[in-house]
Amino acid sequence: MGVHSCFHCGLPVTEDGRQEALIAGNKHEFCCSGCVIVCQTIYDSGLDGFYQRLQSAEIAPPPDPSQDPEQFDLEDVQEEFVSTTGNESEATLLIEGIHCSACVWLIERALEPLDGVLLSEVNLSHHRLRLRWDQSRIKLSRILKRLHALGYVATPFDAERAEGIAVKQNKSMLYRMAFAGFGMANIMWISISLYAGELSASGIDPEHKQFFHWISLFLATPVLLYSGWPFLKGGFLGLMHRQLNMDLPISIGVIATYAYSVWITFLGVGDAYFDTVVAFLFIILIGRYLEGASRRNATSATSRLMELQPRSAMRLENGEPVLVSVRRLVLGDSILVRPGEKLPVDGLIIEGQSNVDESMLTGESRPVKKIIGSEVAAGTVNGQGALTVEVNQLGQNTVLAKIIHLVESAQGSKAPIQSLTDRIVPWFVAVVLGLATATFLFWSHHADFDTALLAAVSVLIITCPCAFGLATPMSLAVSVGHSAGNGVLVKNGAALETLAGATHIVFDKTGTLTEGRMAVSDIYLSDETSLLEEQVLSFAARVESHSEHSIAQAITARFAEVDDQEAFAFQKEKLSEFSSIPGRGVIAVVASHKIVIGNKAMLEEQGIEIPAHLKQKSHLVEHAMGVAVFVAVDGQLAALIAVQDKIRDEAKELINALKSEGVTITLLTGDSQGAAEYVAKSLGGQIEVIAHVRPEDKEKVIADLQAQGERVVMVGDGVNDAPALSRADVAIAMGSGTDISMDCADIVLMSNELLKIKFALNLARQTMRTIRQNIYISFAYNIILVPLAMSANLTPVFASIAMPISSLLVIGNAILIRKRCKI
Amino acid sequence: MDVIYSLVPAMILLAIIAIAVFFWSARSGQYDDMEGPRHRILTDDDDPLLPESHRKYTANKAQKEESNNE
Repeated sequence: MGVHSCFHCGLPVTEDGRQEALIAGNKHEFCCSGCVIVCQTIYDSGLDGFYQRLQSAEIAPPPDPSQDPEQFDLEDVQEEFVSTTGNESEATLLIEGIHCSACVWLIERALEPLDGVLLSEVNLSHHRLRLRWDQSRIKLSRILKRLHALGYVATPFDAERAEGIAVKQNKSMLYRMAFAGFGMANIMWISISLYAGELSASGIDPEHKQFFHWISLFLATPVLLYSGWPFLKGGFLGLMHRQLNMDLPISIGVIATYAYSVWITFLGVGDAYFDTVVAFLFIILIGRYLEGASRRNATSATSRLMELQPRSAMRLENGEPVLVSVRRLVLGDSILVRPGEKLPVDGLIIEGQSNVDESMLTGESRPVKKIIGSEVAAGTVNGQGALTVEVNQLGQNTVLAKIIHLVESAQGSKAPIQSLTDRIVPWFVAVVLGLATATFLFWSHHADFDTALLAAVSVLIITCPCAFGLATPMSLAVSVGHSAGNGVLVKNGAALETLAGATHIVFDKTGTLTEGRMAVSDIYLSDETSLLEEQVLSFAARVESHSEHSIAQAITARFAEVDDQEAFAFQKEKLSEFSSIPGRGVIAVVASHKIVIGNKAMLEEQGIEIPAHLKQKSHLVEHAMGVAVFVAVDGQLAALIAVQDKIRDEAKELINALKSEGVTITLLTGDSQGAAEYVAKSLGGQIEVIAHVRPEDKEKVIADLQAQGERVVMVGDGVNDAPALSRADVAIAMGSGTDISMDCADIVLMSNELLKIKFALNLARQTMRTIRQNIYISFAYNIILVPLAMSANLTPVFASIAMPISSLLVIGNAILIRKRCKI
Repeated sequence: MDVIYSLVPAMILLAIIAIAVFFWSARSGQYDDMEGPRHRILTDDDDPLLPESHRKYTANKAQKEESNNE
């Protein structure tokens, strides 16, 4: 029969999700209802040119919006991200689902004709949409719904919160660098005249030389003040606070060179070094700018508006649900929480029952059953039952808010770890100043003042830490860029230096070492049955196909992987006599077979016997904190399906690799001791297990390890990991995790591949090696050239050649990191 | 050779204008999207070739779909 491709996105069509629809008069197949809706909308709007513009770009089924677009019309909510003047409102939205330029065309074309839309501009590199609309003619939710119909999910983007200072700093760095470049280019062509004159037979006319010096001074002064300002300020502040950093030797070198050149210009005799000053500033700024830009790219990719708490809720007023913003709720209000929604507040259930997924808050992998009188927490996800909840904690007092507060205090109290170059700086400065003074004294005795001054300043000029100052920024820039290309986003370059010396790695369990959702791990067939595994799965999947329970979904997902035509055909059979017994299971009749699916108690009640070996297996499954699901067909037990939160495939390989590197490993989880120990054993043992911990205790474990002198890396994904992540020396978050843990982390694994942790560790060590090599290169350069300067043999030509050479060596060495560290 | 006394300042002035233009273009956000514009110039916009009446028809049809789906 062959596998068909979805008419919209091109992915293979599985029997499970298959949809058929009429497009432009022809029948076509799709992989899911999302693709159907998107394709129909595109054709109905006359925008089918989209598919031609796609060319070879790959697209995917549309993403799922997790929130109701109506909430964005509420005034309180709009306050956060919309700026309004009169009737015109403007906002920037983050768009999920953009693949290529065809999407840009589609979005702009689809929004423009809407009445009330004044401006719709897509930024392809950052996946953003700048929108301006007339509030009186169109509502924002309508625009969002149109985007959704086309397959794009839009979320409000608060630029301040997401990028804020980093962007401004980077922009200003760009301007300073551009200005230094402008200065350098112009002074350089003037300097060429000076060099040419010096080297020529007749020498240069002193009047012309003076003219060139004055022009150079006029150009170099604003460059020094504007482009050099961050270094001057940083060096000065560092001196005041006794925290010496790279800015100090840079400032000393730059000021000395400039001051000497100014003095020479006024004096009218000798050589000025303005070109050296400006070239040096330009090169150093390139390094700093690249480092900042690579860091910024990593950060912006992981920043979304932190959607931990929903902004709106359905408040019950006189029994009728009304959409209000969360800020308007008061204690004692009753709200309606529909299946699948996130809880907006802490509260008490007064009506309804459901299973709530608390994994991101507590780390527990199984949904927790909640009935009338149960407490629920903000940020957790409701299961399949609608709930009426009475609000008993709001805003800052919710459990969630308290965790966020812990995160902030952990971040504030962490001392920044010093970079390697920063530790060497004090020595470097001392040696340079010492040599300069010695040179001055020496020549004062053996020659005149002018020669002494020239020689001393030459020392300061030539040791101008060009290579030294580039050693760290260039290496970090290359490493961060290289790792980003491999799916590992490093938000903080210094974290790489720290990671290289890691001694202890702490892993969260749910969602980090495990997949974080229930999935079928094994199917054990009964000896007495004649059915095949696929047939049993087929029966079970048919019965469970419409349930939203996580276990049912696990079974249907497993079935979707089966490649059996007969089994697929069976899915079309009608289901009769379906009954679901809460806490037990389901019974149904399909194609005249009676199917019973449920737990041990369910089978006992139905009078179905469970053979001994399967009973044993079910105990093992439960011991591993999984769920044992029995399937009986026509009164006879057919199989036991084990459903668990599966351990990620690469986890064992990663743990072994880390152990062989000599790193100690700890498993830290909010889940039960049994589940934790099972996972530890499956990963090869020799792992310390600490279970049943609350978020604040997780942080304490990290702090205790640090007090023992360990360099601690924390790997996590949930809200309950956030305080620990903030406290750890290096924090790694899973890309599939919560926004807050990605926000606190230094490194984010975008593809959830655990093995990338090993890559990150190798990269970190290689980066440190390269930084050290660069420092050696800069020392070598100095050792060769300082004697030259001390003997008063330095000329501007010489300096302006030697400096770029050392910089190029350092830059070249840094770029080689990419070659040395292949994935 | 004395011409350099007028040439050099003139060159500097040109350079200052250049840097001012750069600052203006960066500030007005022209460097914010490095990917979009290069694709934009390559998209075929054959729409102007379609008769006005057809374009209005498809835009209104889309509007009607919206209000039906509300």
